[in-house]
Amino acid sequence: MSETMNEAVRPPTDAAPPPSRPARHRTTPIVPERSVAGRTLMLLIAIMTFLSAATLGGVVLVQKSAVAWSSDVGREVTIQIKPVEGEVMESNLRLAVSMAKATPGVASARALTLQESQDLLRPWLGEGLDLSTLEIPRLVTVQLSDPRDADVEKLANDLKSIKGASLDTHAAWRKQLNTMAGTVVISGIIALALIVAATVLAVIFATRGAMATNQEIVDVLHFIGASNGFIAGEFQGRFLMIGLRGGIIGGLAAILFFFVISLVAGNVSPTGAGAELGMLFGRFSIGYDGVAGIIAVVPVIAAMTAVTSRLTVRRFLSQIS
Amino acid sequence: MIEFTNVGLRYGQGPEILKDLTFRIEPGSFHFLTGPSGSGKTSLLKLLLLSLKPTRGTVTMFGEDVSDLDQDRLLLMRRHIGIVFQEFRLLDHLTTFENVALPLRVLGQPEHHYRANVEELLDWVGLGERMHAHPALLSGGEKQRAAIARAVIGRPDILLADEPTGNLDPDLSVRLVTLFAELNRTGTTIILATHELTLLDNFAFPRMVLHGGELVFHEQGQTAGEARRS
Repeated sequence: MSETMNEAVRPPTDAAPPPSRPARHRTTPIVPERSVAGRTLMLLIAIMTFLSAATLGGVVLVQKSAVAWSSDVGREVTIQIKPVEGEVMESNLRLAVSMAKATPGVASARALTLQESQDLLRPWLGEGLDLSTLEIPRLVTVQLSDPRDADVEKLANDLKSIKGASLDTHAAWRKQLNTMAGTVVISGIIALALIVAATVLAVIFATRGAMATNQEIVDVLHFIGASNGFIAGEFQGRFLMIGLRGGIIGGLAAILFFFVISLVAGNVSPTGAGAELGMLFGRFSIGYDGVAGIIAVVPVIAAMTAVTSRLTVRRFLSQIS
Repeated sequence: MIEFTNVGLRYGQGPEILKDLTFRIEPGSFHFLTGPSGSGKTSLLKLLLLSLKPTRGTVTMFGEDVSDLDQDRLLLMRRHIGIVFQEFRLLDHLTTFENVALPLRVLGQPEHHYRANVEELLDWVGLGERMHAHPALLSGGEKQRAAIARAVIGRPDILLADEPTGNLDPDLSVRLVTLFAELNRTGTTIILATHELTLLDNFAFPRMVLHGGELVFHEQGQTAGEARRS
């Protein structure tokens, strides 16, 4: 195919171009911004990003609390000595403490006082009951310096010599806690997958709508020789910007949400009860890694929006070609 | 450059729109394509633009049988063919300059590379002072000149025009066809479809007359009256 066009009309492209008029500062996008239902889609992506980030943050909170709680509980074992007729409780307590202290890997051991033991029962038995008349089980709390090296089995064997003594390693609690945390994490992953699927579907519908709105532009681009890749790229660029804006809005809203939650949780019970809640449920703070995770959601959502729109446009163009 | 051999075209299971077309278009020629409405002019232009494939026969362009070409090769070949429509088909949100530069922009050329050439072409078609105007602010004649500039900015070997004067008054129509004739003198092969036989009387180019899907060639210098009688 020869280059025969208009040599007399215009200079060849390799000639020095003549001085031109001042350039315009910005090239107008080929797919007009207003032709894509951008605001609605941006709002939808912002909501989806918020939901993704909130789910992710929730999973991180639960996981962190579970790990921290499991770790705390794992560093402690409890010796329980039930009252047995003919046995002297105080001497058994001292014996149990000394056995515990003699066990490798144990940092400290302390018998709870009678008053402390009664205080532990009070929430279940109620106020106003005279517990001094009851023989109640007594506890020895044993702190482990390193749960992996502690010879808990030896301690359990040693305690067999004390009548009514038993050792609670909280293994059942930890197992249940880990199962619960695992369930929450899996549920969170399923929720994230559903949110992603819903976002992809919304972007597909929005892209199809944009293609229908811009059919004339697509036709013009086709007959002037634009490739399907170029046309898809133009739509992808538009949707990438919508995805980025929506993602940033949703991500910022999620970070703000968790910040407010941590502030509210801290202010509701700043004293002892708050500390107990913190022990039980964590500090309601997702931390820097959680914030980093939420920030990472933004480009993922934007890229997913862009890639989805590109694939939708390519499919549409290949169907009409 | 263009060769049709026993070409037929039908849409789906419908009747044959074009029947046994056999002709050859030489490089650098100018042909009017005429005939009554519904005679198949637009369908023939679509075959020439490679946006349709014939249901029978062979279309050879630039020495290649187009039915053997894949999408990528068709795309490359289409870049050597310019097209002008009756309804202009300019993009309303782009300025005249951006509309004309669009074929170069889709090729990935940076604006600084083509700006001077686009401006010079706009000056040549008389739109130098209107380059920053949007199509909504242009007259019919200005829009058509912008569409022609867009069709030729990529230096096509073939320029197709589908009723380019359909929305213009007779005087402006003659001036516009004169513009096509000037382009033809620079080497561009031109096929201009129109049903305005009075317009053709002003020019001595050969005519391809479609009637009922069949094509008849009339040589240079034939008048509209003679074409009608034949």
